[in-house]
Amino acid sequence: MIYLPIRLPVMRSCIGLITLLAIVLLTSPSLVRAQDATAPAAISGTVREIIAAAVVAEPADQKQIISNFKTNPSPEVVGWLDKWKEGVIFIHEAEDGTATAVLLDGSAAADGSFATVKLSDGSPMLAANGSPVRINPKEVDFADTNSGLRRAMKEVTDLAALADPDPAKRIRAIQDSSIGQKVEKLPSLEALKAMEKNPEALRALDVAISIIKLKSPTREERIKACNDLAKIKPLSARDIIKSVLTEAEAAKDRELIAAASNALAAIDSHISTINAFGTAFRGLSLGSVLLVVAIGLAITFGLMGIINMAHGELIAIGAYTTYVIQNLFVAGLNLSPFGKSLSIPGLNLESGANLYFIVALPASFLVAALVGLVLERSVIRFLYRRPLESLLATWGISLVLQQLMKFIFGANNVQVSSPSWLSGNWTVNDIVFGWNRVFVIGFAVLIIVVTWLVLNKTSLGLLIRAVMQNRNMAACMGIRTERVNMMTFAFGCGLAGLAGAFLSQIGNVGPFLGQTYIVDSFMTVVVGGVGNILGTVISALGIGMTDQALQQYLGNPVIGKILVLGAIILFLQWRPAGLFVTRSRSLD
Amino acid sequence: MNPQPFTSRVHTPLLIIAAVFLVVVMPVLNATGFISDFTLGNWGKYLCYGILAISIDLLWGYTGLLSLGQALFFTLGGYMMGMHLMRMIGGEGVPTFLSMVGRTEWPSFFLPFSSFPFALLMIILVPGLLAYVFGYLAFRSRIKGVYFSILTQALTYGAALLFFRNELLMGGNNGFTDFRTLLGFSLRDDGTKRGLYIATAILLVVVVAFCKWLTGSRFGLIQRAIRDSENRVLFSGYATANFKLFIFVISAVIASFAGALFVPQVGIINPSEMETGKSLEAVVWVALGGRGTIVGPVVGAVSVNAIKSWASSGATADYWPLMLGGAFVLVVLFMPKGIVGIPGQIAEISARIKRNRNQAAPDQAPTPPSQATDP
Repeated sequence: MIYLPIRLPVMRSCIGLITLLAIVLLTSPSLVRAQDATAPAAISGTVREIIAAAVVAEPADQKQIISNFKTNPSPEVVGWLDKWKEGVIFIHEAEDGTATAVLLDGSAAADGSFATVKLSDGSPMLAANGSPVRINPKEVDFADTNSGLRRAMKEVTDLAALADPDPAKRIRAIQDSSIGQKVEKLPSLEALKAMEKNPEALRALDVAISIIKLKSPTREERIKACNDLAKIKPLSARDIIKSVLTEAEAAKDRELIAAASNALAAIDSHISTINAFGTAFRGLSLGSVLLVVAIGLAITFGLMGIINMAHGELIAIGAYTTYVIQNLFVAGLNLSPFGKSLSIPGLNLESGANLYFIVALPASFLVAALVGLVLERSVIRFLYRRPLESLLATWGISLVLQQLMKFIFGANNVQVSSPSWLSGNWTVNDIVFGWNRVFVIGFAVLIIVVTWLVLNKTSLGLLIRAVMQNRNMAACMGIRTERVNMMTFAFGCGLAGLAGAFLSQIGNVGPFLGQTYIVDSFMTVVVGGVGNILGTVISALGIGMTDQALQQYLGNPVIGKILVLGAIILFLQWRPAGLFVTRSRSLD
Repeated sequence: MNPQPFTSRVHTPLLIIAAVFLVVVMPVLNATGFISDFTLGNWGKYLCYGILAISIDLLWGYTGLLSLGQALFFTLGGYMMGMHLMRMIGGEGVPTFLSMVGRTEWPSFFLPFSSFPFALLMIILVPGLLAYVFGYLAFRSRIKGVYFSILTQALTYGAALLFFRNELLMGGNNGFTDFRTLLGFSLRDDGTKRGLYIATAILLVVVVAFCKWLTGSRFGLIQRAIRDSENRVLFSGYATANFKLFIFVISAVIASFAGALFVPQVGIINPSEMETGKSLEAVVWVALGGRGTIVGPVVGAVSVNAIKSWASSGATADYWPLMLGGAFVLVVLFMPKGIVGIPGQIAEISARIKRNRNQAAPDQAPTPPSQATDP
């Protein structure tokens, strides 16, 4: 372990803040007292020298010396205080009784001892006879701290955090500063407010100041704080305002009661707005999941009339393809298909973890489409006239595919790690938008656009629509309907594969992945109206929104889901053929 | 050429022999030690599944309604019987599934289940009413074909979600188990087990006879007409929705009885019995045995389950889904009439070969009926 002198960079931007803090603190009465008490210590010099002196000082003086740092809580001080708390500063006691704070240097010798350097300036610690001092950390005590000292240290580090150049850290420190509602913190916060430019930090400061003021001895200030909070509506203040309200009720202070209940009502209405937006957003993202999962089925079932119970397994195939590609990009993977061990080396790409998805998307589409092609040629094409039997045959296929995936990838779920940027979120006015949900919605939009383009702007799409609308007529016009069937089915299966790649980003991948979604996706297509992509879009979003709204309202996902199923059954009473009916003169 | 492609060709004497064998010979062999209790218990289970399969076939094979909700009615019947059996356990306090959710007393809807006649009534009423309400809604708005299948599947899925919840007070995940007595007989006695088997076999015979009669009547004719072309029946002045509703309720009750007899024999009922896969599996039995016949589904149910209990344990366990799935695809593709249709298929093929040999005009050979009959 090497402890070289560390000079933490002090950002220029925060020097001003610190100086200001220093002025404020110096003038505040409690600190003036502290100044008087430490006068005899009269320690000056660099931060390192002061800390070194503090380490060997009398316990009573230590606290005062540390408290002095409140006037200048630089990151360097925080770094050394942290080291002190961690117990890596040792005290070397020379034969004449003088104690020196030292740090270990270099690596351990055979007997476990280390060379040492002085904390005060980083020079090697020499004994009286000039030989370097070596100490064994197991035998010598490290510089200890007691609770009073740690409290003093915490005050210093908190102050340093308030001046942190990183806005996120600064805001967190500001928010923490209101905990305990210590009135003595007010002057420093007010001073900070005058300096602060970041709007979010300013808001946090306003909140913190108002929360602290709720404890203010003067009644007018408390009422004003309530009124301020009613304007800002911070969620964190709700419980505190509630307790203020109870106190005010106990004291029968009408004005304060009015102000506090007003603030409480403002915050509560803000919360319900947030919940409404959050529910709508979650509903939108759930609807997007349904949409992505069901869009392939809208092609195979909706357009072609094949009740593809193996749709879920095609989704799982897409998900497993993503899993394989991901592992190929990094460290490779080991599989044991049918009991034989198979090891595939990986490419070990630097940024593989973030890049693989670009390759995985087309790959999962192609693999699933290929499987679909094989299925269509071998089984499905014999069943175009027998839709109910296509249900049974594809269910048989789904059993076989599930078992094959189990043989190849094992029965346990595997984890596909999503790119790091998916894990963050974005907060607007206290409403949290998770990036993964934003991704879900964006992906759904992408898939819809692609499907729409393929169906409406390509010659394949034209053929597909022609064959699906009137197979015989299309055949008479010279369209090779067999081939169009094949391509359509493969396209639908490829979309299922894309859905798999997508689901792998928001959950685990297992052989039974598709089973979770099969009922939902059929429901979505049926409600939307068979043979209509727009219907599928609307029904997916509608089901997603209803589900989330019921969940929010009832607080129970299962009951919500059951109610949605019931609602769908009732909806089909009203529109038996779904939202959009494909009109036709043919009967049956 | 072949006006009723799906009617049973198995002759009545053969059926009577089979009935006598199942109802009389098997239990006698068991009592004298030729058949082990385990085998008899398994057969009791298979026959319950056979009854369930008939109920599916009544809908699918005869009326053209592929219901994926029969497992729900089967399980509901099982639950009704399970509630009675739970009340019969006796002892102090309440069973764990109630104490687990903080109940110290039986919920009031459990109390009347102490009486066996009441339980019997509920076995008929609960699934019957559910089928009536659901069927009324579905048939009134003319939901048919694939939509009907998907809706019944959704109904079953929703019910399974509901029964998995402990708050329903129906045992949640674990369902009901640890039954002791039925009508005063200990369920652990060999005699009781044999009695339950005989009851199942008799029920099967009764159901087969009833369905034979029903499908042979004028009602059965309309049923098949609905299957083949519902619109023509509708235009002929028949309220097809009522016919479909009637048959839907009847088959729900039949499935419910099968479930009620199933539960005391296997000793447990839980919501996994009504998962989506179960209904589909039961449809496989029907397809494999031969739909549109009364005996076919029973043959399918018994043979698939016999193979399953042999194959789904030990070394072949992992391959069972492969076999089931593969067999299913093959049956759908190549044996649309199932096992009982094999003799007919062979006869047809040999007749065609003979005809081709006699006259050199192969294009006059009839198209296979299965292609022509489905909507």
